[in-house]
Amino acid sequence: MVEQDFILEVDAIHTFIGQFHILEGVTVQVRRNSITVLLGRNGAGKTTTLKSILGLTPPRVGRVLFDGRELHGKRAYDIAAMGIGFVPEHRAIFRNLSVAENLRIAERKKGDLERKADFIFGLFPDLQRLYKLPGNHLSGGQQQMLAVARALVADNKLLLIDEPSEGLAPVLIEQMMEAIRELSVTTTVLLVEQNFLMASRLAQHYYIIDDGKSVHQGEMADLIHDEALIHQYLGASVRVDTGAPGGRGGGR
Amino acid sequence: MKIKAFWRENNTLLVVALILLVLSVFGSSSMGLEPFVRTTLSGFTLSALYFMVAAGLTLVFGLMDVLNFSQGSMLMIGAYAGWQFYTNPTFLFGLAPLAFALMAGLAMMAVLHPVVSNWRIPEQWQSRLRALIIVIAVVIGVLAVVGLDFRGLASTAMVATMVAGNPLAEATPQEPLASFWIRPVLLLLSGALIALAQARPGDPTVVVHKDQTRRSGMVVAGLLLLVVVATLVRESGPLAVLTMNGNLRFVLALIVGALVGAGLGAVIETTLISPLYVRPLYQVIITMGLAFVISELIQLLWDPLPYAMSRPPAFSQPGKAENIWAFFRGGNTTVDILGVTFPSYRLFIIVLGVLMFLGLTLVLKYTRLGMIIRAGVQDREMVEALGINVKRVFTLVFALGTGLAALGGIGAAPFVPVEPVMGDRYLMQGFITVVIGGMGSTTGAAVGALLLGLARAFGDYLALKFSLSPAISEASTVIIMAIVLLARPAGLLGRRE
Repeated sequence: MVEQDFILEVDAIHTFIGQFHILEGVTVQVRRNSITVLLGRNGAGKTTTLKSILGLTPPRVGRVLFDGRELHGKRAYDIAAMGIGFVPEHRAIFRNLSVAENLRIAERKKGDLERKADFIFGLFPDLQRLYKLPGNHLSGGQQQMLAVARALVADNKLLLIDEPSEGLAPVLIEQMMEAIRELSVTTTVLLVEQNFLMASRLAQHYYIIDDGKSVHQGEMADLIHDEALIHQYLGASVRVDTGAPGGRGGGR
Repeated sequence: MKIKAFWRENNTLLVVALILLVLSVFGSSSMGLEPFVRTTLSGFTLSALYFMVAAGLTLVFGLMDVLNFSQGSMLMIGAYAGWQFYTNPTFLFGLAPLAFALMAGLAMMAVLHPVVSNWRIPEQWQSRLRALIIVIAVVIGVLAVVGLDFRGLASTAMVATMVAGNPLAEATPQEPLASFWIRPVLLLLSGALIALAQARPGDPTVVVHKDQTRRSGMVVAGLLLLVVVATLVRESGPLAVLTMNGNLRFVLALIVGALVGAGLGAVIETTLISPLYVRPLYQVIITMGLAFVISELIQLLWDPLPYAMSRPPAFSQPGKAENIWAFFRGGNTTVDILGVTFPSYRLFIIVLGVLMFLGLTLVLKYTRLGMIIRAGVQDREMVEALGINVKRVFTLVFALGTGLAALGGIGAAPFVPVEPVMGDRYLMQGFITVVIGGMGSTTGAAVGALLLGLARAFGDYLALKFSLSPAISEASTVIIMAIVLLARPAGLLGRRE
């Protein structure tokens, strides 16, 4: 059963935002219990791909299958409720809600938070200490952890995580990587990441998106050695072998 | 550090409080205590009324970016509904079965959906079929109410108010059941047809959950039961209401007024507003048009006359209560507060306004709905991405807003004239309140209402004292708005950039 291997199949989707043709054929397949990363330059369409999967910017053409079910025509809240967690870029936590409320609001069944509390605070011990604080009192790194934690409250089979390392200090990036690796044991992760070092150390599979199209895919282990490909799509600044931890890759 | 943070977060409120304090010290010493207290209390009464309109406006705008120009009309409808219920509920009892029947039909959407989504209909015919069904539904709906004596039903409370005699002496114009029964049946059919069109026959892409279908089934069953009960009590109901204790009747009128407002709000949001979220300007125009339609309909039913609803017995014993405790025992029309003789019903309005503010604050702070509203004000997309049906929250919040305004309307009815222009009057003040307080902030609406009410009351006082035009006090509200907007373009507590 080959199909059963993929929890998510995105098949040649085209997405328009207003009159702009943002995605012009993106195909992505995500294996169960794996980490897959979407790579590409700024504005290539990585974030739009995540939003198209979730139905926030529904694709006009093409097909998205999640867990074997067609997502076409479903609303974002229906799709999310099927078991997809979303960690948007710029750590979109609810700033005027407390940490506790930010987690509580993500419950889909009563008691979700109580069931998952140990797991979540095991990954991010800081959040337990900050539990009562309002979201806008948190530092950037703490907000990012809260955003990831929020996606873990409900029973999600797939997590869409957009740029978890953005603007984080190196030591926090390490902690975030560790957390994502740990949670990928029980769930599946589709990651968008500009920090190539982080992406290469976390993900098993990669897709390169360029100018709204998925142009390349394969095993991460192979990509690391393919400097020409990296150079072509991700820019000259990527240095895999000597890159310091936390150095930003893929910038222009 | 703590003090600094406290200052940073509350500086606007503290500055406003300081200004009010300085003004009140100055005012009380120059005016004399008695007129000062009296004017302040009048101001609070107005503040409470403004807040009741503004609360829904700010809530709905903050969450949904909808400017509801029919919010004033909702206050007016609450006032009329409450007045009808309290004075002679024949009209409400006559229409209740029809309203419930229509709602029961409309609620069938989720029940019909699993059945009709599998119908094989060619795609190019689907939209035409929907249009056809809607046309048939409208025709049936019109047929259902043709010949119903709306004005006759409406005139009962009118006569009761003007004659001030025994309302029960008026002949009730309810149609006999033998000819009436067809009306709710037809309206049920009409509503069901609209629901059928909404369920998009032949279109399998719309998702309706199993539990949603089950829940709607129960709602439909409940509404059908209400239709039957309402049909049966049409003639005996008004009598039963009018013979009950006046205070109880008033409390029921408050509840009925609020429910009518909330129900109407839910229907307006689902049918008129929600298809237009992509075109915000059209929403403004449609709510504006709705305000005109409601005002005309009301004039059609009750003529463009002002009516005075009588106060409930708890506020109508002649004489003055020496203090607030004596009032609780005696139910006097006026009560002595700090040496000022003040109408006791106005105190009730102030209390109602404060209770509404507290209730709303508690709901926003401690319930899941409140949490979703606060989160949605900041980032709707993310709330939806968590798996929350934001559309349903929108309907709920819209209904909550219109319900609060309607509750304010029936609360105000015994103390301001019930007339077709009250909608516009309070809408204007409500908007100024919200702009001063900051769009989307409930506390801001309360502060804005406080400022406006006090400005109005003291403006009236000064105009009277120096024999100036009363336009001064009306202008004062706009002047306050201008000053606030110059200092804080987002309003006092507005957070929008």
